Amino acid sequence: MRVLLKILLALAVLSLPMKSFGAETAKLRYSQSIYFDDRGGGLKQPEGVACNDKSVLIVGDTGNGRLLRYTVQDKNIQAGNEVKIPQLPYPIRVQMNSKGEIFGLDGKQRRIVRLSPTGEFKDYVNPEGLPSPSSFIPRSFKIDPTDRFYILDIFSERVLVTGPDGKYQRHITFPKSYGFFSDLAVDPKGGVLLIDSVRKMVFAAQKDSKEFTLLTGTLKQYANFPTYITTDNRGMIYVVDENGSGIVILGQDGSFLGRQLNAGWNEGLLYYPSQMCINEKGEVFIADRGNSRVQIFTLVK
Amino acid sequence: MAHSVKKETRRKAHRVIMRRVNRKDYRMSSRLKWLFLSGVVITLLAFPLAYGQQNKFKLKPGAQGKLCLECHDAFKEKLKNPFVHTPVKTGECSECHNPHSSSHGKLLDEDPNKICNKCHEGIVPKNSKSSHKVVMEGNCVKCHDPHASNNKFALLKPGNELCFSCHKTMGDAVTKAKFKHSPVEKGCLNCHNPHASAKAEHLLKNEIVALCVECHKPDSPAFVRQHANYPVAKADCSSCHDAHGSNKAGILFDNVHAPVANKGCTQCHEAATSPTPFKTKRAGYELCRGCHSTMMSDTFNKNRIHWPLVDKKGCLSCHEPHASKEKKLLIANVASLCGTCHTDTMEKQEKYAEMEKQEKAAVAASKGKIQEKGAVAHSPVMDGSCLACHAPHASDNVFLMTNPSQVELCGTCHEWLKHSSHPIGAKIIDSRNKNLTVQCLSCHRSHGTGYKYLNPFPTITDLCTQCHKQYKR
Repeated sequence: MRVLLKILLALAVLSLPMKSFGAETAKLRYSQSIYFDDRGGGLKQPEGVACNDKSVLIVGDTGNGRLLRYTVQDKNIQAGNEVKIPQLPYPIRVQMNSKGEIFGLDGKQRRIVRLSPTGEFKDYVNPEGLPSPSSFIPRSFKIDPTDRFYILDIFSERVLVTGPDGKYQRHITFPKSYGFFSDLAVDPKGGVLLIDSVRKMVFAAQKDSKEFTLLTGTLKQYANFPTYITTDNRGMIYVVDENGSGIVILGQDGSFLGRQLNAGWNEGLLYYPSQMCINEKGEVFIADRGNSRVQIFTLVK
Repeated sequence: MAHSVKKETRRKAHRVIMRRVNRKDYRMSSRLKWLFLSGVVITLLAFPLAYGQQNKFKLKPGAQGKLCLECHDAFKEKLKNPFVHTPVKTGECSECHNPHSSSHGKLLDEDPNKICNKCHEGIVPKNSKSSHKVVMEGNCVKCHDPHASNNKFALLKPGNELCFSCHKTMGDAVTKAKFKHSPVEKGCLNCHNPHASAKAEHLLKNEIVALCVECHKPDSPAFVRQHANYPVAKADCSSCHDAHGSNKAGILFDNVHAPVANKGCTQCHEAATSPTPFKTKRAGYELCRGCHSTMMSDTFNKNRIHWPLVDKKGCLSCHEPHASKEKKLLIANVASLCGTCHTDTMEKQEKYAEMEKQEKAAVAASKGKIQEKGAVAHSPVMDGSCLACHAPHASDNVFLMTNPSQVELCGTCHEWLKHSSHPIGAKIIDSRNKNLTVQCLSCHRSHGTGYKYLNPFPTITDLCTQCHKQYKR
């Protein structure tokens, strides 16, 4: 009996490292939803969400043509101040940099607008010193922890990387064969990811690499029409399946780890989701466009 | 004395030589014997094997074929056809059929989709660039009679008639075309390989330009003049010309872009004398904006743009720059075109169409016992009338819908819903969410779900109790 117990104990001890090195999965647990601004006005088809570690949440309330600024602390949501400026009439993507400055991509003008942390218009982000061709159209953009911009330029088929001042630093050309890129992400190691909505694939370029290579095969089995991509602080990849109303989770190597959430109207379900943001605390904010709300989930690993 | 010694030495030498020769002869003859014997053994062994293979059913001598015809009397008529399949001609029916039993229809010796491959294995070249679907499926009998026919290669029908029995639309277009392309009339096989092509797409015998210049000489003065001095032999002829014939002179596609029709190539391209004559003067939509400025301004003033319009290809994501079969110079019909990117939507329609077909068959078979329920597919989506609801360039509404009000939009076809339906519209708040109003899409999903009435839930009860929770069981 003692021998048997010893064997079992040894097996249990040996299996611990196996567990810790095994493929990590993540789940999204519903926490709460945001429906209104500070005056009780309802959200209308919001497409943008940006969050940071200072508990600030910016919502691109697209249908109402405005931004809303919230603070979310320990499940306590405060304010929801309106920021409405003529330079950003139709915000479809929002981001924040390390200084708390707000950036919004306008769907109508297809320009990136810079706002102060309190929401005053500062300027447009216009990359300076671009190599030929000088024309660019941003479909999406991201900001890394050092405040560099990564702009998905669909007109000239490249990802533009600029400094915080907007000065051109380098670019990564799109791969030769692709369908249509809707979004990009910068992982914690500085690598750049692209999501191809048509071919339902993820492409990746290592930090400082000049070209993209395929990271995944087709995700057709798991996603209908993926349009947004982001990573968490450990490099796990999250893909928003807009038409399929769900979130596909991938490992750093592109391996499929799971699909979370489903289509629907009730809380915890999504209806044509758009942007998604994950903060250091593991809070996940999803712009649930079709349900005119922002849903907050907790990342459970 | 010395002489006799010499003689003796010679004799000895002769004997030694003779012994050696005899030994060699013996060795040679024994080798020959062995060779001969092994040949006999191999022949004896191989003959029954080969014979067995040939005559695997141990038919009596002379019984092959003839024996079958004793019963299959009507088949004798078939054999009178001028083009008879070789095994049939040599009476080797058992090459394809098993006279006793088989797991396949018509007592075929193998899967009907694979049996032809036994002899015709190399019909599809390795790494072929295109292949005929029926060939890949092993459906050889769609074109060939496996026994005999009146047509060469035992084809079921002569010439183009055979091809057009499947490619009906093409057949109609070729027949109706005002300006015909003579090679097409002479036969599809002038340009296409019937099975597969190692060289080009669409089963073409060669790349398009290489194929065209076999007849059309690009350096002839008339050719150069017609093409405004542009070196089109390096371009793609099918960008403007419909090789199957059309209603426009020069077999240009039926819909021609005005600058092409007016030979105004320089409106978009650099001059013919330029080192890069085909280079466009501007990139993407910026080129088209020069002429289509009103449409572009209207597009760019909308809140939401169809993003491919502003990518590198721009307008050419959906439109042909020179000429097209489709109206508005579309690359393909709307269903195929939208389905190129929105595969998730269009692929589902095939599934729904099959579901509806099966249901209709079940209803017909039940002779009135089962009644047909609501459709699982939305007909405009199924028919590819995407533009009935969506604006292709830009819109102020989500999903690029042509009308901000779902009730108005759906009401253009479903007129009744405006006066007799569940309360819907901008004033009716959805009980699940105060930010939503009850609209058509609150209960239906326009592209289908696989459930009746485009219901997002399996049953109507499931749907209604989403809001009317008191009735939930």
